[in-house]
Amino acid sequence: MNRIILSLPIVLVFIISFFLLIFLLQGKDPTKPPSALINEDIPIFNLTDLFDKNKSLSTKDLKNKIILINFFASWCAPCKVEHPLFFEIKKKYNNIFILGINMRDENEKAIEFLNKDGNPYNFVGVDKRGFVAIEFGVVGLPETFLINSSGKIIYKHLGPITKEIFKNEIEPLL
Amino acid sequence: MKLSPFFKFIILLCFLISNSVIANVEEDLKKITSKLRCMTCQNQTIHSSDTDFALNIKKIIRNKLQKNESEEEIINFLTYRYGEYILFHPKINKQNLFLWIFPFMILAISLAFLITRIKKNT
Repeated sequence: MNRIILSLPIVLVFIISFFLLIFLLQGKDPTKPPSALINEDIPIFNLTDLFDKNKSLSTKDLKNKIILINFFASWCAPCKVEHPLFFEIKKKYNNIFILGINMRDENEKAIEFLNKDGNPYNFVGVDKRGFVAIEFGVVGLPETFLINSSGKIIYKHLGPITKEIFKNEIEPLL
Repeated sequence: MKLSPFFKFIILLCFLISNSVIANVEEDLKKITSKLRCMTCQNQTIHSSDTDFALNIKKIIRNKLQKNESEEEIINFLTYRYGEYILFHPKINKQNLFLWIFPFMILAISLAFLITRIKKNT
């Protein structure tokens, strides 16, 4: 009897810890850092066009649009892997505004990359210092966000988007 | 061109002030970045990391410090964008209350248990 009473606190700690662990891991992928901006408004930004310095795009220009924002760079290998998928998305959903944000890249190299591999974006903005990326809470490249027509961030994906990810995670939100 | 002693003094003063401002910014930068997690490294602070992500965050914080933003404002700015995950020490708030209280609860239960055991034995 004494032994049972003695081990009671340890058993109690294990039981509580077990339920805590289940609660913490519920629906969460430990390999993905949490996305703080989900269901928040799209950050305020102003981007210069990669191809024309005189053109720019700001948050105001994106009102009432469904937007797919893709942070990329010409030096980022995984960005090149997911790049062809954006052509398919553009073809299938012509109501989506695909915004490419070229992050910490050289303009010439980014233009060369898009001329060679094609440009699926409706607008390519330059974020040379990565400050717009910080506004979006970007951790690494590539990163993709889906914004609904109310201007809220409804989805974020860290890493290259695959056909499966698009079909299973993004398409149901469109 | 010869500078008068007064001008020399002013130049020296400006140099000393700018140096001390830079030193303060760097000191605050170190203090803040030591509290932040590098999201692309394994349990490393932003201060001790040289990844692109950490360098970018350092740049942003340095800019904000130069604009005289407080540590709290900077931490809030980053927490809003990256979540509390970026903080090595979670904030004490409603959501984290259990996390902070749990170890003390265990300690209290264990102490109570220990005291009753000792009393019983003596």
